[in-house]
Amino acid sequence: MRHDFLDSHSRLDSPVHRLPAGIKLASALLFVFLLVLAPLPACVPIAAVLVVVALLSRLPASFLVKRLLLLEPFVLGVAVLTLFQPHGIEVFAAIVARSTLCLFTMLLLSSTTPFAELLCVLKRMRVPALLVTTLALMYRYLFVLMDEGERMQRARACRTFERRRWHGWKALGTVAGQLFVRSTERAERIYAAMLARGWK
Amino acid sequence: MTTAIEVKDLKFRYHDGTEALTGLNFAVAEGECVGLIGPNGAGKSTLLLHLNGILPEKMDGTATVFVHGKPLNEENLPEIRRSVGVLFQDPDDQLFCPTVFEDVAFGPQQFGVEVLPAVQRALVEVGLTGFEKRSPHHLSHGEKRRVCLAGVLACSPRVLVLDEPTSDLDPRGRRELKALLRQIPATKIIATHDLELVAELCPRVIVLDHGAIVADGPTTELLDNEALMLAHGLERPHIMRHRHPH
Repeated sequence: MRHDFLDSHSRLDSPVHRLPAGIKLASALLFVFLLVLAPLPACVPIAAVLVVVALLSRLPASFLVKRLLLLEPFVLGVAVLTLFQPHGIEVFAAIVARSTLCLFTMLLLSSTTPFAELLCVLKRMRVPALLVTTLALMYRYLFVLMDEGERMQRARACRTFERRRWHGWKALGTVAGQLFVRSTERAERIYAAMLARGWK
Repeated sequence: MTTAIEVKDLKFRYHDGTEALTGLNFAVAEGECVGLIGPNGAGKSTLLLHLNGILPEKMDGTATVFVHGKPLNEENLPEIRRSVGVLFQDPDDQLFCPTVFEDVAFGPQQFGVEVLPAVQRALVEVGLTGFEKRSPHHLSHGEKRRVCLAGVLACSPRVLVLDEPTSDLDPRGRRELKALLRQIPATKIIATHDLELVAELCPRVIVLDHGAIVADGPTTELLDNEALMLAHGLERPHIMRHRHPH
């Protein structure tokens, strides 16, 4: 079981992938700022730049589109609220356009830069160590957690003989609860392992 | 011979009241390799966690563990953590960094050792040079275990404490790990169910059951004692039945 959903294409080779992570992070943040603050017409050239970067990065278009669509519900969820005001449609369109471009920027960043390198840059930028450590641990254990959840789901499926929906939801709840308990226990073991190697 | 680890009347009770260790006494000489065996729940892992002061969480005045003659207390804790390296049972618990390099570097960084040479040396020792940039979740179980070991070795411990080092390994992984452990000159304490490993690596064995030491002596003698083995959830390993060179 090898999950790779966070930065799955980050180890490809392209001019964009080869750029130093620091430069990529800085320009991504700059783009996001511009996209939020600049007047709407100014977003068009930014969008053009992003598309060029995407082409240069040789990321499969289908992957980018799928990933964007996956994230779009969150944008729409917020933007829908603006529809209930005068000129709602325009505001709605502006918010969706800006947020989608911001997402696209971050998507390009995370798909062309391995997460570990981003963390290194954050560390060098003197982002508080606690935050960087938390991010690093999150990245590390997300996969372990997913594997564990998958194994539990599979084991449950092996003993599920009827297809009643309510039953399924209930079992899912149990799996989620178990996963939570197991994670807290694992957290304790990880902490012990960190202490054993001198963590203060 | 100097004593590496000395345990005097070590008792431990978990929060829920379960008595895990009921007054243990033993000493391990420097350079010795001791096997720690016993059924599940005998207290092996609990004992190991006491050897570098992960347990008890709150230390009271009287020390029960002595490492190279020094009592394990708050004051000596950093030094003892460094000289006693622990390999945990589940490599996923121990590999908490995003890349192999960072993980192996974690110990040296904490202890203020020069990182790069320590990491390189440790990776050479476990035969994983070139793995620096890999992320732990893309490694096989055997590789993970070796990275864990590298992380421990990078701190140059004088005592190595291993909890089930061969569990979940395929035969090749086991063989490689065994060869690796044999090369490491540090004092070793190995808790395991893998009795063949004990028979091959450890001249001395301690049998633990219900939180107490029930036997402590030469491996060839104890593992060959079928009654003793069966009484404590173990068995006389096959290797004892015909100890002739193949």
